[in-house]
Amino acid sequence: MNIISIHSFLGVSLILFLTGLFTAISRKNIIGIFMGIELILNSAALNFAAFSRFSAGNAEGQLFSIFIIVLAAAEAAIALALLLAVYKRRSDIDADKLNKLRG
Amino acid sequence: MDIGIKEVVFLVVIALTVVPGFLVAFSRNILYSAFALFFTFLGTAGLYLFLDADFLAIVQLLIYIGGVLVLLLFAILLTRNIDNMKRTNALSIRRAALAGIGAVLLFGVLLAAFISYEWVRPGAEHASSPAVTVNELGSLLLSTYLLPFEVASILLLAVLIGSLVIAGRSVR
Repeated sequence: MNIISIHSFLGVSLILFLTGLFTAISRKNIIGIFMGIELILNSAALNFAAFSRFSAGNAEGQLFSIFIIVLAAAEAAIALALLLAVYKRRSDIDADKLNKLRG
Repeated sequence: MDIGIKEVVFLVVIALTVVPGFLVAFSRNILYSAFALFFTFLGTAGLYLFLDADFLAIVQLLIYIGGVLVLLLFAILLTRNIDNMKRTNALSIRRAALAGIGAVLLFGVLLAAFISYEWVRPGAEHASSPAVTVNELGSLLLSTYLLPFEVASILLLAVLIGSLVIAGRSVR
């Protein structure tokens, strides 16, 4: 039995996904929520690369990982710009207090 | 089961990825979470190297560590004073309990699903990958996946302008 198998990669990305999910749900700070989302996207990209290596045997899955990384970078830029705008206006980035749009 | 130097390095890289992940989830200090995220991204880049994805590892280093993480640290430094840093990363206890239960349940279900199926296509596990994936990725990107590539470039342009508009208005 080889340690470097697809099941190791799936296990690592599963743990990353669940820690990211826990972080994104449980944090009050917007930056903390954002870190959780980054972890989730990271684990998704890792899964694509793992299936590309072990199941497909070609590089197309890695391409999807690259697209995920591009989207994560775009999301980071927009999220942090929004965060700065919110902070300038409210001088607070607690996500629980941002309920002005709640119906 | 034979454990050579490669397997040892693999386990170290896995530990480098997973342990800081828990630190991101449970640290009370958001700056420590950001630094832990650095090690998680670094470990993921190492895992990409084990997957014969050299270009992906470099991209991970460049964009995640060089871009996203630096942006994140700037956001932390711009929004919070250092003196109340200790209280910036509060957990909502009720949601944390719910999320913990959900995460453990999901862990069991997904792990059972992962190990109950043999994902490896016969022959793919020991297939020799090309030593450099950049050629293959580049030709795929400009032939089959040309439309997503162009859409991604438009998206990046929109993000560039949009983040300037959103953050620039608040600074002025």
